[in-house]
Amino acid sequence: MSASGTIDSGIANREPHAPEATLDRPADYLHAQSTLRSWFLTTDHKRIAILYLASITAFFIIGAVAAGVVRLALVVPNGAVMANDTYNKAFTIHGVVMVWFFLIPSIPATFGNFLIPLMIGAKDLAFPKLNLTSWYVFMTGALFTMVSVVLGGIDTGWTFYAPLSTAFSNGWVLPALIGVTIVGFSSILTGLNFVVTIHTMRAPGMTWFKLPIFVWTHYATSLIFLLATPVITTALILLIMERAFHIGVFDPAYGGDPVLFQHLFWFYSHPAVYIMVLPGMGVISEIIPAFAQKKLFGYRFVAYAAIGLASVTFFVWGHHMFINGQSDLASLAFSALSFAVAVPSAVKVYNWTATIHKGKLRLDTPMLYAMGYIGLFVLGGLTGLYLATLAINQHIHATYFVVAHFHYIMVGGTVLAFLGGLHFWWPKFTGRMYNEAWGRISALLIFLGFNVTFFPQFILGYLGMPRRYATYPPEFQMLNVLSSAGATILAAGYIFPMLYLVYSLWFGRKAPVNPWDAKGLEWETTSPPPTLNFASPPEVPRVPYDYPIQEQETKAQHR
Amino acid sequence: MSTGLADGVGIKRAHHFETVAQQRYAATLGIWAWLITELLLFAALFLVALIVRIQHPEATQEAARHLKFWIGAVNTVVLIVSSLTMSMAIEFSRIGWQRAMVRAMLATAALGSLFLVLKGYEYYADYEEHMMPFLGSRPYELTASPASRLFVNLYYVATLLHGLHLLTGISLLLGMTWIASKAGFLSRHQNWIEIYGLYWHFIDLIWIMAFPILYVVNR
Amino acid sequence: MRSPLATLSDTDRALLKDRLRKPVLTFLALMGLLAVNVTLGATLPFEHVWALELVVVAAMALVVLLVSMEVLHEPPLVKLFSGLGFFWVAIMVGMTLTDYLGR
Repeated sequence: MSASGTIDSGIANREPHAPEATLDRPADYLHAQSTLRSWFLTTDHKRIAILYLASITAFFIIGAVAAGVVRLALVVPNGAVMANDTYNKAFTIHGVVMVWFFLIPSIPATFGNFLIPLMIGAKDLAFPKLNLTSWYVFMTGALFTMVSVVLGGIDTGWTFYAPLSTAFSNGWVLPALIGVTIVGFSSILTGLNFVVTIHTMRAPGMTWFKLPIFVWTHYATSLIFLLATPVITTALILLIMERAFHIGVFDPAYGGDPVLFQHLFWFYSHPAVYIMVLPGMGVISEIIPAFAQKKLFGYRFVAYAAIGLASVTFFVWGHHMFINGQSDLASLAFSALSFAVAVPSAVKVYNWTATIHKGKLRLDTPMLYAMGYIGLFVLGGLTGLYLATLAINQHIHATYFVVAHFHYIMVGGTVLAFLGGLHFWWPKFTGRMYNEAWGRISALLIFLGFNVTFFPQFILGYLGMPRRYATYPPEFQMLNVLSSAGATILAAGYIFPMLYLVYSLWFGRKAPVNPWDAKGLEWETTSPPPTLNFASPPEVPRVPYDYPIQEQETKAQHR
Repeated sequence: MSTGLADGVGIKRAHHFETVAQQRYAATLGIWAWLITELLLFAALFLVALIVRIQHPEATQEAARHLKFWIGAVNTVVLIVSSLTMSMAIEFSRIGWQRAMVRAMLATAALGSLFLVLKGYEYYADYEEHMMPFLGSRPYELTASPASRLFVNLYYVATLLHGLHLLTGISLLLGMTWIASKAGFLSRHQNWIEIYGLYWHFIDLIWIMAFPILYVVNR
Repeated sequence: MRSPLATLSDTDRALLKDRLRKPVLTFLALMGLLAVNVTLGATLPFEHVWALELVVVAAMALVVLLVSMEVLHEPPLVKLFSGLGFFWVAIMVGMTLTDYLGR
């Protein structure tokens, strides 16, 4: 198959023997086989990525509907819309599904799976069967959790804090805990596969400092998968034992310590924030140079910042526990270290904006998402500094300020990067172009809807409205109604892409090999790529991000 | 890793690797990445044990003195011997002595099973001594010291989790022994033995650390 | 084995001895260290004997990692991986203890 994606059947007909019976279908990974079996037993990293994409989209819809229920309940201050218990279950479903089943696998399991082998010039991940296993493990964990949701739901919040989850909560906590424990293994398997692949499967000549930042951030993410996930597995096993057999280690009645659960929980779950954020940073680092047609500014610093974030993030978990009874020494240490996170984060933001500076900008859909990402990430990141400050934290701990802060990072950051990446690589994934006008409208709607939803929550939190309550004082109603109204705009912004992207699968224009004039090995192969990724071994470029506009100021950047 | 392989011993390249060396290296790196996760999994339990000890020193010591110290010690010996037989299996695989390798693997599986039998006997003795506080219907020996339950229950979680790993290991080992006894195995998959050996050694190492942390230092 | 031990050829016997020397020595070292720990645990000769016991465990872990698991002969990256987990355990324990030792 040639690079242009067509098969010259004329040559075959000139053969003296009867030509082999050929089906009139392109030989790309999507069409190579079409049976259900060929999808569910595939070991092709691209098909597994599509399986993940379909699954996490389903979970995104479930989580988003639960969010809608929460915002509906909060339109009135007295909790008249639904029973308090229903409200508790709705925000728990929203948190559990969005964190464990959408955000954590979102970019790594879909784009990472699809693109890492392409970007490094490999035929597949190092362990293709393990890759498929990880999807089945994911779905098994999802099944357990969904059983809990269907049977009546849980009201523990996504954090499963003891002793609420072990002694007080009614409902189906055990299946949910087992489900989340199982899902951790799928993360571990994905991370293991990525680490080994990036170390051992790079094409000849593809040195570490020629790798796209997307690969660097996924390497950093995979390290967190490996180093953090086992600890939450242990924490959840102990929690399951606590709930099932009352083993006592988290139960104050026997002298156990609930704060110990929080330590183990946040040893994973704070780094997990970077599992959710780092891959998005990788996506943005690919989109911005492509739509500025300019070399990424400070490539090495952006790469090091990814590894820096993945390391520093293991030293800051205690900032979730400032008012939970941990020692002052611990709070001081965790607070001081938390400020260190701002450094590599800022390095990345400055480098992205410096890349845009004097670039030849095209404001296509992926770039709109990327620009939105930078703005919202800055706001989310800076409010994180407020929260890391011990004295201010006393005031805004467990208020809507925290809710707004992490939604600016998780939605403004990760979800926007996910959508931006989805539009950027959609032609590569599917071989089809989507409708650009609809794309831009949706990107703007999401940006607008997001800010209307979550900015009021900063104010609500600052004024003292606590999170997770079904009722609130009437003076907060105006801002809450505004927030709920924003959620409807946001919902519209999410629904449009689902429609026009699916539409494009059948009716979209055929995508060229490289619709954005982007650099990177994934744009060298056909759209969509053949099963083994490259028709002939790809040629590794001289430098990464070899765009027409190079940085004039950094002449000394030879090595 | 690949030092000193005899003629006719090696691995068959899978389609997505460019070279055999690359495939071998990927597998080695992969198992080490997995072992990192195993270490952290158990380390978190050991950390909980440490915190329980810090917060309730007397109760923990009282509970630890009820553990079957000598069974634990004998079991450590059993696993160290199994490590020796596993190392022998690896060496035999490298020089192409397939039958010797298979026998060493069977010996390893037998020693692993012996560990589980002894562990089962230890649980039975614990049961007889009323040292199973998680059994709601059965009286607990150290009722006067509620915090001792924490350590005893943690001991069950840690040893059961280790036992589960050992059981998985024995099953994998027996399955692999069956495959490895067929003709031509060592020319196709010699590195399976090495990779599996790393897992086995590491599960032994977890016990080598668990025995002192649970049985010895709290006495 | 190709044939019972007694009928091994001299070359095979030499090969066997050469190959098994290291595993057997490792085994003896581990047994010796274990004997020290079991003796310490059974007799409790002095206060804070746990510190010495932990040192012995660390020595056993090093022997298993470096010799049995052949980390000494692996390329630098595998050496790094074999130590990475322990380093992260140190982070987890150390940062958690800032709380429990500071209360």
